[in-house]
Amino acid sequence: MKAKRKMNSRFAPYLFILPYFIGVLLFTAGPLVMSFIMSFFDWPVIGDPVFTGMGNYIELFTKDSQFYDSMAITFKFSAIFVPLTIVLSLALALLISRQLKGISLFRVVFYLPTVVSSVSISIIWGWILNKEYGILNYMLSLLGVSGPDWLNSRKWALVALIIVSGWTVGTMMLVFYTALKGISTEIYEAARIDGSGEFRTFFQITLPLISPTMQFNIVTSFISALQNLSLVMLLTKGGPMKSTYMYGLFVYNNAFQKSRLGYASASAWVMFVIILLLTSLIFKSSDRWVFNQVTSKEERR
Amino acid sequence: MRVSKATKIVTYLLCVVLSFYFLFPFIWMILTAVKSEGEIFTYPPKFFPDTWRFHNFIDAWNAQPFGRFTWNSVLVTVWTTAGQVVSASLAAYGFARYQFRGKKFLFSILLATMMLPWDVTMIPQYMEFNLLGWIDTLKPLIIPALFGSAYYIYLMRQFLESMPNDFAESAKIDGANEFQIYSRIYMPMMKPCIILVCVLNMITVWNDYLGPLVFTNTQSKYTLAVGLAAFKGVHSTDIIPIMCISILMCIPPVVAFFIEQKNIIEGISGGVKG
Amino acid sequence: MNKNLKKVLAVILIAVIALSLVACGSNGKTSKGKTKIRFATWDDAETLEFQQKMVDKFNAQSDTIEVIIESYGDNYDTKITASMGSKDAPDVMYMWNYPKYAEGLLPLDDLIKSEGTDYKANFYEALWNYNSINGVILGIPVGYTTHVVYYNKDLFDQTGIAYPSADWTWEDLRNAAEKLSNPAEKVYGIAFPIQPDPYDYEMFAWSNGGAYVDAQGNAAGVLDSDKTAAPFQFFQDMLKAGIAIGTDDYGSESFSTGKVGMFMNGAWSIDKLQKAGLNFGVQVLPRFDKSIPSASILSSSGVAISKTTANKEAAWEFVKFWTSEELNKERIGYELPVLKSVAGSEKLTSHEIYSKFYAMLDQSSQYMPASFISKDWSNLSDKINLALEKILNSDSFTNAQEALREAAK
Repeated sequence: MKAKRKMNSRFAPYLFILPYFIGVLLFTAGPLVMSFIMSFFDWPVIGDPVFTGMGNYIELFTKDSQFYDSMAITFKFSAIFVPLTIVLSLALALLISRQLKGISLFRVVFYLPTVVSSVSISIIWGWILNKEYGILNYMLSLLGVSGPDWLNSRKWALVALIIVSGWTVGTMMLVFYTALKGISTEIYEAARIDGSGEFRTFFQITLPLISPTMQFNIVTSFISALQNLSLVMLLTKGGPMKSTYMYGLFVYNNAFQKSRLGYASASAWVMFVIILLLTSLIFKSSDRWVFNQVTSKEERR
Repeated sequence: MRVSKATKIVTYLLCVVLSFYFLFPFIWMILTAVKSEGEIFTYPPKFFPDTWRFHNFIDAWNAQPFGRFTWNSVLVTVWTTAGQVVSASLAAYGFARYQFRGKKFLFSILLATMMLPWDVTMIPQYMEFNLLGWIDTLKPLIIPALFGSAYYIYLMRQFLESMPNDFAESAKIDGANEFQIYSRIYMPMMKPCIILVCVLNMITVWNDYLGPLVFTNTQSKYTLAVGLAAFKGVHSTDIIPIMCISILMCIPPVVAFFIEQKNIIEGISGGVKG
Repeated sequence: MNKNLKKVLAVILIAVIALSLVACGSNGKTSKGKTKIRFATWDDAETLEFQQKMVDKFNAQSDTIEVIIESYGDNYDTKITASMGSKDAPDVMYMWNYPKYAEGLLPLDDLIKSEGTDYKANFYEALWNYNSINGVILGIPVGYTTHVVYYNKDLFDQTGIAYPSADWTWEDLRNAAEKLSNPAEKVYGIAFPIQPDPYDYEMFAWSNGGAYVDAQGNAAGVLDSDKTAAPFQFFQDMLKAGIAIGTDDYGSESFSTGKVGMFMNGAWSIDKLQKAGLNFGVQVLPRFDKSIPSASILSSSGVAISKTTANKEAAWEFVKFWTSEELNKERIGYELPVLKSVAGSEKLTSHEIYSKFYAMLDQSSQYMPASFISKDWSNLSDKINLALEKILNSDSFTNAQEALREAAK
């Protein structure tokens, strides 16, 4: 009886994760490996591929200045975007998790933009941000401010992109909100009885308890920031003067505009390695700040 | 929890200010949807149309077989959501509650699947689906998702990790097997998170248009998002129908959100008592 | 309450799954032994409705062929690239970017020959250039548009200046724009894209005797010549003078506000502007030199057949239908007819608006876009794109020749 249970629990974890990995083998592994193979070829959309060894990688690093430019822009965007959206979404989640009258209305308001399709997002914001005839600059002009050319100025285009991408922060807010709601009210009550102030409660109780969710949001928003494509494509097309020509667009254009699938794959794999390294850094560091019920218990033993 | 008057005022104030940012473009969408062609681009901006053309919604709906598209979208959404909940929660549970050999490595693979941009795996994927004869069906949109996505597994794992271990231990003593612990103890406790996954998956699948665009051919297989994108031609864009359909498309995810709100709160009070 | 909700959800779920199984089962039985032809189009939904009607007409006529329409809107390139890359291209495709897809398309010269000599001669000659690569015809013209100037009649009347004439020059345009402009009221003379597709802007160089590349496809010495640079410098000067504004689209959105005097575009805007109730007229593009007629790029559309199609004959049968006189007539309002016989019989060459597009077509027949000549257009166009932006963006306003010299390297 006891032996059976041990057997059971030795295989149990593998059985739990089995379905997912079957899916990986069937649908993800093939294309993943295939794109890796393609990165060593000169692979046009039409016609026969030619093996070039490390050719694509050498060209990327030594001949293509756009590669470095796009990389730099993407990191600049992520460096602003990730912290900003994390703070904003957490702030929103804290606001909407207060038990106040009418707060559920605001919950819907903050969530609403996430369900709007990106095609209409780009159309609406494109016109709002229009320099001459847009509503934003019109309203600014009523205040006596002359608004910038949001989408066509090197200085403002990235800001405009951040404003528009920030609009759909509701997903992250929802994740935080669910985590916040998962904290039992008893813990807060205890803190209140202890005389802990709002700020102290937040930093000493709330934040550690939602730290696994925090890690999730940081990692996923980081990945999506580095791969950002659709909004750039729809809103600025990489301009003005390539100032928003982010890495996602660089990869996409190589594949679909220039029909260089091999080169696009190589550049995607370079970014893959970078994301992998950065993510593992986040994971390494999170041993220090992510509060984990399972492991902390085991350590105590 | 009692809230002081000052925090109350600050909370409302912040909410109202932020609402402007989140709500204004949406209101502008609605106002655009009911305008006439001549009223969309005006200066100074015209906020309200002369006549509210609610008929625009009906015209937009009738411009393409949107009934069919809705059905396809519902199919894909329901199937994938069901698949995600089952497969993703299983995998998340496996990763969160056990220590096992190769765990770190396998979890890295899981994360890695999120890191390669879709544009370079798409063509190999197309080849694979073509080989399977799945092109121009809804299968490429549904079947891979039935095995669970990394994003949701990771999300659920994080939630599971912040849950206390005591329940499992007491259940083990009661003679429950591993699967029973998962299904009878953790699944109910995970309810808020599972609902969250449902809502997130719904938003994503509902609005995804590159997938259906690339893997389906004939109109009878299109989803709502593809139908919506079809209003945008190479040289001209039909702005009013785009706004109308986008607004209609928002309704189901918003309804789902209302259900979620109710359940998150219920789920949590239930979980604490249990 | 919660229990009820759960029950309702469960019922919906079961119903959806059950119904979907039924739906899956009934797939693939639509054809009645007919040859299926996949036909890919890029147009917006409004045009699509019309196209579907025409395809239905063909299907009703034909006992052996069934055409299935596939519409991809402005994501056309993504879809075609993916399906061609996976060797699963549609049988018949709308096409304009022949240089990019040439290797995947079936040469049509033999098929055209088999239709007799009059068949080919009835098309406007200039269009064949835009539907072939290296003299090999890869597509049959369906529609085209040249670019013209749209002007706001009300604004011209208010300012008290004459409407543009057929032989007007860019100097004339600038004078008109100056008079029209009133920045305090946000009224401007002209609007044009400042992040243009280089393909669309080569016509300005042509009109001034320049080009992007020479006949061999070399950019050096051509792209950075005075003649090519001058028009773009002229554009920059108008922007600097505050009589022109830069736009993200062709300019039709700004023009729709009624605050912009002129903009340049193909025939695509006619319908939209009429619906918006604007009082506008069109005129051929202005000249740089009084003695040289202006030229326009052609935005042409054709239908091509995939090289990998299994049903060449059926595909050709449909292509012939799609490019027939009957269809050219039906398409008026969506596309300008490409057949001389139709343009004549429908009196389009004397039509107040359409005639300008035919006039531009006549004036532009000897030009060939760089995209068809250059061996490495995708890279060159990338560089020209950046150069044009540098010239036209107020952030930089780089000297035109300097920017183009950089691109010609």
